Amino acid sequence: MNPQAIMDGLITGSMIGLGAIGVTLTYSILRFANFAHGEFISWGAYFALAISGALGSLSGAFLAPIGPFSFGWSLPLATVLAVALTGGLALLVDALLFGRLRAQRGAVIIMVMASFGAALTLRSLLEFIFTSKPAYFSKALQIAMPLGGGLRATPDQLLSLGIAVLLVVAVHLLLTRTAIGRSMRAVSENQQLAGVVGIDVRKVIRTVWVLGAGLACVAGVMAGLLVQIRPYMGFDLLLPLFAAAILGGIGSVPGAMLAGLIVGLTEAFAVQLIGAEWRAAIAFVILVAVLLLRPQGLFGRPE
Amino acid sequence: MTATGQPVALSTKALVAGYERDLPIVRGVDFSIRSGELVIVLGPNGAGKSTFVKAVAGLVPIHSGATFLGDRDITSVPAHEKIRHGLAFVPQTENIFATLSINDNLLLAANILPKEKRSRRIADLYAMFPDLASRPSLRAGQLSGGQRQMLAVARALIVEPSVLILDEPSAGLSPKIVSEVFSKLKAINETGVTIILVEQNVKAALAIADRAVILVEGLLRHEGPAATLADDPIVAELYLGARHQSKAVAS
Amino acid sequence: MSVELIGYGAFFLTMALTYAIICLGLNVQWGQTGLFNVGIAGFVAIGAYVSAILTTPDTANRFGGFDLPIAVGWLGAALAAGIIAFLIGWLTIRLRSDYLAIATFGVAVAVQLCALNLERLTGGPFGIGFIPRPFASLAGDPLAFSLLNLGVLVVVVLVLYLALERLVRSPWGRVLRAIREDETAALALGKSAVRFRLQAFAIGGGIMGLAGAAQAHFIGFIAPENYLPMLTFQVWAMLIVGGSGNNRGAILGAVLVWGIWAASAAAVSAIFPPDQQARAAALQIVMIGVALCAILLLRPRGILGEVRVVSRHLGRLSPLKRATSIPQNNEPQHVQKP
Repeated sequence: MNPQAIMDGLITGSMIGLGAIGVTLTYSILRFANFAHGEFISWGAYFALAISGALGSLSGAFLAPIGPFSFGWSLPLATVLAVALTGGLALLVDALLFGRLRAQRGAVIIMVMASFGAALTLRSLLEFIFTSKPAYFSKALQIAMPLGGGLRATPDQLLSLGIAVLLVVAVHLLLTRTAIGRSMRAVSENQQLAGVVGIDVRKVIRTVWVLGAGLACVAGVMAGLLVQIRPYMGFDLLLPLFAAAILGGIGSVPGAMLAGLIVGLTEAFAVQLIGAEWRAAIAFVILVAVLLLRPQGLFGRPE
Repeated sequence: MTATGQPVALSTKALVAGYERDLPIVRGVDFSIRSGELVIVLGPNGAGKSTFVKAVAGLVPIHSGATFLGDRDITSVPAHEKIRHGLAFVPQTENIFATLSINDNLLLAANILPKEKRSRRIADLYAMFPDLASRPSLRAGQLSGGQRQMLAVARALIVEPSVLILDEPSAGLSPKIVSEVFSKLKAINETGVTIILVEQNVKAALAIADRAVILVEGLLRHEGPAATLADDPIVAELYLGARHQSKAVAS
Repeated sequence: MSVELIGYGAFFLTMALTYAIICLGLNVQWGQTGLFNVGIAGFVAIGAYVSAILTTPDTANRFGGFDLPIAVGWLGAALAAGIIAFLIGWLTIRLRSDYLAIATFGVAVAVQLCALNLERLTGGPFGIGFIPRPFASLAGDPLAFSLLNLGVLVVVVLVLYLALERLVRSPWGRVLRAIREDETAALALGKSAVRFRLQAFAIGGGIMGLAGAAQAHFIGFIAPENYLPMLTFQVWAMLIVGGSGNNRGAILGAVLVWGIWAASAAAVSAIFPPDQQARAAALQIVMIGVALCAILLLRPRGILGEVRVVSRHLGRLSPLKRATSIPQNNEPQHVQKP
């Protein structure tokens, strides 16, 4: 087996994991499978692209590469702003669509259908604004450094992995150690009791949107940095996101990340065996296997 | 504890409530409880007891009428704010977070207190419920039925509420545990907490209550001191008779 | 009226009726049973490819080409799509309602991938051509040819409509409705409730496969790009506009939405310069997406839907549930009295 597949799998897996955390949180707290979550990945990447482009045109100093990396200060700055904007986009969609459906106490499946409609709308809007032509943060090519054991990675890849690990640890600590995290877990178990205990459920829902969309945005920037930016990038990740969220067990953040890595690594190894053109089918096979063997996922509670 | 002369702690005026607008379950209830009183709400199945207290707690839509906590109109205060005004509610089932630890359950409730008070209140509650103190990191779902009720009560008391409402705390518990829970409630009441208790377990509840009210078909039909109600054959007749009647209607 | 206009009208209606068949299939799944299918495009594609492989003449470098009669192709299409639907349903119907949605979405992705990559079977990105068309011998007379084709689809839709109406009123349909409307009944039926749902899902999938085959034989050519998620989205829009739970609404919604779609596509190509048309087409999808969300928000029972039938489905509470539980997210606000 090619050791390079491990690096590819870890990279894709951490992007899937970051996205799957958002899916699992919205699923466990808002109680529906959000088909629009992939679009936060795409929108996050395009937000960052537009902002870093604007910063670059303001001053060339923003574009000078930082250390060994392929990008200048424009990208980290743009990412911070893009995270905020993507969070804002999620809140906007909630205010316009999901929040209203919640107020109408519509069936879960109406929410799923609405998210499907929102996904198509958001994606086509990106296609309208930016066209379907692929875009890149940086045209610079990076040399992969040997890491020993036949593994090679570019500085950008290593940085992305490090950031993904940091974010997962941070989100995990947020959920287990802080008041808002406890509130989120409480709302996910019993929304009504959460209200009785004095938790403002609407505030928790807003937090979940901003958190999930923010992580999706980071995943989008990573995908843009390491691969490319296209309006369909989020849609293509949607099935792996769902597979990872279900494999990890709905509601489990470490589960979502671990399952993301499993999906990513499986994809990378399977691609070596059966060819890159079948990549998208791997997530489906994993999904079917989980539903067949352990529908509650690795860390989930049986329903 | 006698409560005559004490100010009114909680009251409702012509309260109409229910899940659906065209189908009110509570159909105009005037109710009041004085500070320090322990009042039980009795009534046959389907009389609207549970809906009544849930409406007061903000969990069932109120169609008309009003609820007051002291002098404050809390009719339209959202459920999660009511606890900040001193009204605590313990639902009948699923009244704890089973996936969270005992300590996390208490921490959640303590969150609306000022920071410096939180750990002191949790320590107070652990002192009051030593059963819970021994295993603070245990998942609440692993507790026994009686311990769950205790945790639910402890959780509600964290914020030092002026009024505590409990919806059938004895449901599903063995007689021995019921008497433990009830004597704990009596002890809490004696510290000055006003308690409204919805109960099916009439005998045990009348033994600790100051006063009882009887709801029938969404209306307040009878009230009186608990001591006299316990032996009142007319009340027993009304209560049981109505129960048979409602059974016939339901089937 | 000119011959061309009649020809175009026949073409438009034939196309719309193929969508009407898909809609009828979705109506069995969603309207009658409340099962959410996000992979409609996948089931339609299965039908189209199966029928094409069965009926096309033998071709070098491609498996299939059995040159069988069209009717055999259509039957095979319905059967294949029905079996896949059955398998996916068997996997997920006992789980949470949105797991079925996720799994069907996966089917669409997987089918799309197979269509693209199994070149020996599907022709890959170039698809399959020379799919026999009904009444091919009359191709010399375009008017008669297109009218006869329309006739075939009218007959198919009519037969399907009558059969489904019968089915809804049969004991089977009544059980289905009972399961959908009454939580207690569903719980009491337990395992057999799952079986009824599964049957409905498989039948719906089979009908979608039949529609795919009909479409393929009418156009004479299929390729993977015909079966993108956009198709799923369009069919959903059709059923929601028509009013789910209502077979006549499903047919009407298909014709109406297809009409709007065709008209707006024509407008896009007339108004925008060629280099901007891809962008304009994206905007067209945005508008349809916004419209779908707006309908869900404002008229969840559809524009033409029978309020009675649909609202029951959208979540009637059983009396038991109403009395004992507190309203939660998934319970409806409006409960219609039957």
